[in-house]
Amino acid sequence: MLPTLKGDPVITCSRCGKENQDHYKFCLGCGNEIKPAPKPATREPAPLETARTILPPEAKPVSGSLGNEPTPLPTLSPPAAGKAKGGIPWNDSPKMPITPSNGGGVASGMLGAVTPPPLTPGSTDPGNWAAPRPMPTTPQAQPASAPTPSPAVVASAPAAVEGTVCPNCGRMVSPGFAFCGACGTRMNVAAAAPSPRTMYMSGPTATPVPRGRIVLIRPDGSEGGAHPLHDGENLVGRSQGSLFEGDLYLSPRHAEFQLGPQGLVVKDLRSLNGVFAKISGEEPLESGDVIRIGQELLRFEIIAPPTALEDGTEVAGTPNPGFWGRLSVVVGRDVDGSAFPLFGDAIVMGRERGDILFPEDGYVSGTHARISLRDGRVYLADVGSSNGTFLRVRGERTLPSGSFILMGQQLFRAEYK
Amino acid sequence: MNGAKTCPTCGSEVPADFKFCGKCGTRVDGTTSSSSSVPAAKTMYFGTNQVPGRAKLIVIKGEGMDGLSYQLAGNEHIAGRSEGAILFPDDPLMSPRHANFIYRDNKLFVRDEGSVNGIFMRIKVPTSIPSGGLFLIGEQLLQVEPSPPDLGPQPDAESTYFYASPKRPSKMKLVQRLRGGEVGMIYRARGDTITIGREGNDVNFLDDPFISGRHAQLAISTDGQMTLTDLGSKNGTFIRLGDETQLAHGDYVFLGQQLLRVEIA
Repeated sequence: MLPTLKGDPVITCSRCGKENQDHYKFCLGCGNEIKPAPKPATREPAPLETARTILPPEAKPVSGSLGNEPTPLPTLSPPAAGKAKGGIPWNDSPKMPITPSNGGGVASGMLGAVTPPPLTPGSTDPGNWAAPRPMPTTPQAQPASAPTPSPAVVASAPAAVEGTVCPNCGRMVSPGFAFCGACGTRMNVAAAAPSPRTMYMSGPTATPVPRGRIVLIRPDGSEGGAHPLHDGENLVGRSQGSLFEGDLYLSPRHAEFQLGPQGLVVKDLRSLNGVFAKISGEEPLESGDVIRIGQELLRFEIIAPPTALEDGTEVAGTPNPGFWGRLSVVVGRDVDGSAFPLFGDAIVMGRERGDILFPEDGYVSGTHARISLRDGRVYLADVGSSNGTFLRVRGERTLPSGSFILMGQQLFRAEYK
Repeated sequence: MNGAKTCPTCGSEVPADFKFCGKCGTRVDGTTSSSSSVPAAKTMYFGTNQVPGRAKLIVIKGEGMDGLSYQLAGNEHIAGRSEGAILFPDDPLMSPRHANFIYRDNKLFVRDEGSVNGIFMRIKVPTSIPSGGLFLIGEQLLQVEPSPPDLGPQPDAESTYFYASPKRPSKMKLVQRLRGGEVGMIYRARGDTITIGREGNDVNFLDDPFISGRHAQLAISTDGQMTLTDLGSKNGTFIRLGDETQLAHGDYVFLGQQLLRVEIA
């Protein structure tokens, strides 16, 4: 992903800061004409890996061109805990008044759990979707009073300024710009000054019209930018496509979207955080499946019946009162928080009602999802939540047009003809 | 040794014409069909007769009924499912060689012989419990773990941050270990303590008849030291022993499913 080959002199674009090879006439980042820089040695000597993390997205929006506020930029400083959580009143109140019980104590125990006081008005069930994470941002970047967390990404603000839509990536490009700031596509062949050297950039005529796209869905439900889906393989990741560049919860190569005659198939490229698909109907669960409701990351596991060890000894423990599964709250990489046993025919999750409660998560609906056991199989279903129930894609998954997917900290809709 | 019988209590071979097991004294003449039931309260002597200052292990059989007892008259006394002199062949939670009761300077110690399920001792005073320490309350096997320090978000090798559920700080968590080794529930402490019992506590086991209303409490200090306290429960709170531990008169010890009381004359 290096912008230049090692040792090549570079010219830093005076407008957007992108590094270009010195024979470029126009900035690959913003299309700005590059004047031969007399001092290419101003390049930061910082180690590249570090620099990549600190640096803002390379396709930093040109001022005004995307109608965007200066975007809170990711920095190396860790996300300010508790910051930018929108109107969700995090506190240390009980996550769940758990009353684990033995055997038939189910009803009087977990089902009878008392619900903590309601959340402050306005913080519940916001809009269509909302669960962007606080990005590693500077604390002042996101006003704490914001009603909903604003995703700290490039393409999130409305394209209020006039301009042209890039035929390749769908982003707004300011009038007078010869190149799309996001993907570098030449906007107007006639207007672009012909370069004496060959520019290896595809013009609009060379690019087939994409058959599909991945549309960013903002927390308020409106559409943000879009990423084109061409026939065949479409790679998506933090280093693949401007729509994703600012999101440090995306792996550099995160997922592959394969658009074929049979439809769209998403394949998780062993990304750190995975791809989550919004479920409709009942979805069979396998041990190890990971679920997202609201901001909660949950892992389902089957509890196996005890077996004796080789020498005939059995591992001691509490007699199993009928737990067939367990739902663990993932609070960090390889770190679990609370865990809730699953028993009986079905367990309902919700913010206010149900067997497993997330009273502090304003993005979880009053009753949200259900995990049930039927004929020896376990199923996950949404029970009319506002924000949906998401299941992490195991390997790959076919996505009908209109499917909602969570990647990184953003919600998208996949569309294709 | 033709026609030799096997003693149902200790597994020793008994010559056909013997009416009692020479090793442990169990009646083996077949006239008593009670060999499969719990032997009546009686004292078994190993080696010599009871020696003053030597200890006796009494098997507690529920409701305060005392069962078999074992006189510890040697220097070392192995207990297990198939090895040693103190045998519990029908206890699947007992390792073949489980524990050793040892005298050192006329003091009695118990040592775990690398058993799967360990040795638990009833606590009499607030007792320090290590990270990952296990304890028994009623039928519940519980484990306590302090929360790892929150290092804040740590990017992976590709500078990607891990998405996790929102942070809700907790100093320690209580893990229920099910028979077979699976985790049942995990409860995260809201403050510095977790109270455990049948009702009205942070964690309640409503249907465990062996748990008192208020049974035990875990506490974590500012420096991360954890303490387990029995709150005057009927059946006690038992902590898994790590190192070799000295036993005193009146101590209770769990091996497998066997509750033993130590009596030192």
